[in-house]
Amino acid sequence: MENIVGTNLDRVVILMYFTIVMGFGAYFGKYSRTTSDYFFGGRRFAWWLITISIVATGIGSHSFVKYSTKAYQYGFSSTMTYMNDWFFMPLFLFGWLPIIYYMKLGSIPEYFEKRFNRKARYIATFMILMYMIGYIAIQFLTLATALYKIYGIPLMLTVILIAIATTVYMHFGGQTSVIFTDLIQGFILIFAGLLLFTLGLNFLSANTAYGSGFEALWNSLSPSEKLPLANFNDPPDFNFVGIFWQDGVAGSIGFLFLNQGLIMRFMAAKSVNEGRKAAAFNVLFILPISAIVVSNAGWIGKAISNAIPGALPADIAPNEVFVSVANFIAAPGVFGFVIAALCAALMSTSDTLVNASSSVIINDIYRPLTKNKGSDKEQLELARWASVLVKVIAVILVPFFNSFDSIYEAHGWFHSTFTPPLVVGVFMGIFWKRFTSSAVIATFLIGAFLMILGQIYPAFISPFSHGIELRPGRGYSYIGALYNIFVCAGVGIIVTFFTKQSRDKNLNGLTVFDVHKLKMIFKGSEVNEIKGETVLVNWELYNGDANIVRFSKNDMGSMNAKKGDLVYLEDSRWWLGGLKSIHGTFGEPHDKDGIVQINIDQRDSGQFLEKLTLKAEKEM
Amino acid sequence: MTFSQTWLPFLYLYGVGGIAFLFGLFIILKSNALRHNYQKHKSWLWVLFYGYLFYAAIHAILIILAVGSA
Repeated sequence: MENIVGTNLDRVVILMYFTIVMGFGAYFGKYSRTTSDYFFGGRRFAWWLITISIVATGIGSHSFVKYSTKAYQYGFSSTMTYMNDWFFMPLFLFGWLPIIYYMKLGSIPEYFEKRFNRKARYIATFMILMYMIGYIAIQFLTLATALYKIYGIPLMLTVILIAIATTVYMHFGGQTSVIFTDLIQGFILIFAGLLLFTLGLNFLSANTAYGSGFEALWNSLSPSEKLPLANFNDPPDFNFVGIFWQDGVAGSIGFLFLNQGLIMRFMAAKSVNEGRKAAAFNVLFILPISAIVVSNAGWIGKAISNAIPGALPADIAPNEVFVSVANFIAAPGVFGFVIAALCAALMSTSDTLVNASSSVIINDIYRPLTKNKGSDKEQLELARWASVLVKVIAVILVPFFNSFDSIYEAHGWFHSTFTPPLVVGVFMGIFWKRFTSSAVIATFLIGAFLMILGQIYPAFISPFSHGIELRPGRGYSYIGALYNIFVCAGVGIIVTFFTKQSRDKNLNGLTVFDVHKLKMIFKGSEVNEIKGETVLVNWELYNGDANIVRFSKNDMGSMNAKKGDLVYLEDSRWWLGGLKSIHGTFGEPHDKDGIVQINIDQRDSGQFLEKLTLKAEKEM
Repeated sequence: MTFSQTWLPFLYLYGVGGIAFLFGLFIILKSNALRHNYQKHKSWLWVLFYGYLFYAAIHAILIILAVGSA
């Protein structure tokens, strides 16, 4: 094996990391007792837990490689894709999020059946599964590309070992394991990225005449490398307008509205408002930090190249910027830790996608085909094996993606092929009542056909090019997204005007225009929105109905709750983030203040401990 | 540095993106998904505006600094 990098200490650190994460994830398997727990974590977690776990999902192993490369080539404009997600937040926070949460959608394809018809659901299932499994394959490939150079074992064997390692905790744990391992991995990712940045700044400070690392970084980059946005339409492979349409529009809508893994994360939040907080905090604070985390190796590398000629190899390959710079500025062991962060990125992104894929397999293939005949226990077991199957297919697909010129090209092909029809379908479905079932199927099929035409004949894309130069033999890159969105939306609009509109009753709760009544649909009765206090109570067992919990009259009075209202009950230790919690319905009050009566199933589901107080709050 | 390197991308981002943002706000307000007379939702309305201005400010400041260093 040529060009092996790193030391034995680095290899030990990476192996230790894998072992710890697998054990940690497997431990949380005990919290997955039903398919609801396995896929959605029981809808119980606090916003901060969801936020950190989203970080780890959003940063894939390819992110470090991809953005470091762009940072090395173009400077601060590498951050563009992490800082253009706010425009669709109003529609996400107050349109899509309440719909998926309150309508209890098990998957994105399920929305397509409820909103349109079963045919639309099956096409969406196929496209989403292909997208997610392919994405997992790319994650495997990216990490294996880095690891096989460190361990010196063949690429495909490295891929298989990574797949086995991630299977261990996923197989038993499900969504709860995903959330908790991603919590840890999210911190590791951010810490390792910022550590690398600090080491880079220290290196620059020590090896240049500038007073501080920041000063050295700033002054070692050219003015154009300091710009936060790329040049408007040049060069063809990295320009602002193309990236805006591909990432800022198609990518942002795809990520927020169609990423099944992300959607499942929000479904695991204890309430819609907690989901909103998680999403807003993530985009406002975590994404800018993430942009620094994934890009800084490239900035540091470029600054070193500019300020200290010869320090880094002049012919450094774009894809090797991250590993080369990390190996150059980090000491043995620390380099291993940084690569472990790359592992964290892979594991946390792929576990989310694997869990999401098995959710789609159970919800959108198994349940509709078997008419949901299997018991929950059987479905849970099947879900575990579905996640293994997904990984096997992903491993088989790795050589296909390895045949692309680069990981970026493979990734870009994915986005441009599978995202736009789904983006248009879901977006118009939510915000345009008139949008018909025939139109969404035409969007999927005719839209996809026109997209393929655009790939074969770039002249179709030229009117949308904004002056971007056509690459001979390779067509347009990012700006193709604008053409794809345009043709898919165009087909959807035209077919809608020539086909019959769905009856209103079929759309109840499925468009933004019904969001104001979603709470009532969710609860099944009038919503109680009178503000009440949170109360601390001790629990005792009673033989009651499955979902009923009983409080004293006074405690219910403090909460401003009535019989039939919904209540959230959690272990009062805040740092558990809702791990030990349940949702229930207020039953007949009793007379024992400070006591909540729950049944055995509720105690077991919430994992409540003797003598530890619970915090109760009325939901609606 | 030319206009297409500095302010044109900024204007396009917050112009076209701003249209999408305002369209979203219009839809959620018109559909009552966000009730502006409901205290909790009112706070969210401010958060949404803040987010837009926050990112616009970061990008504008970095462009000004980069242009100033040329």
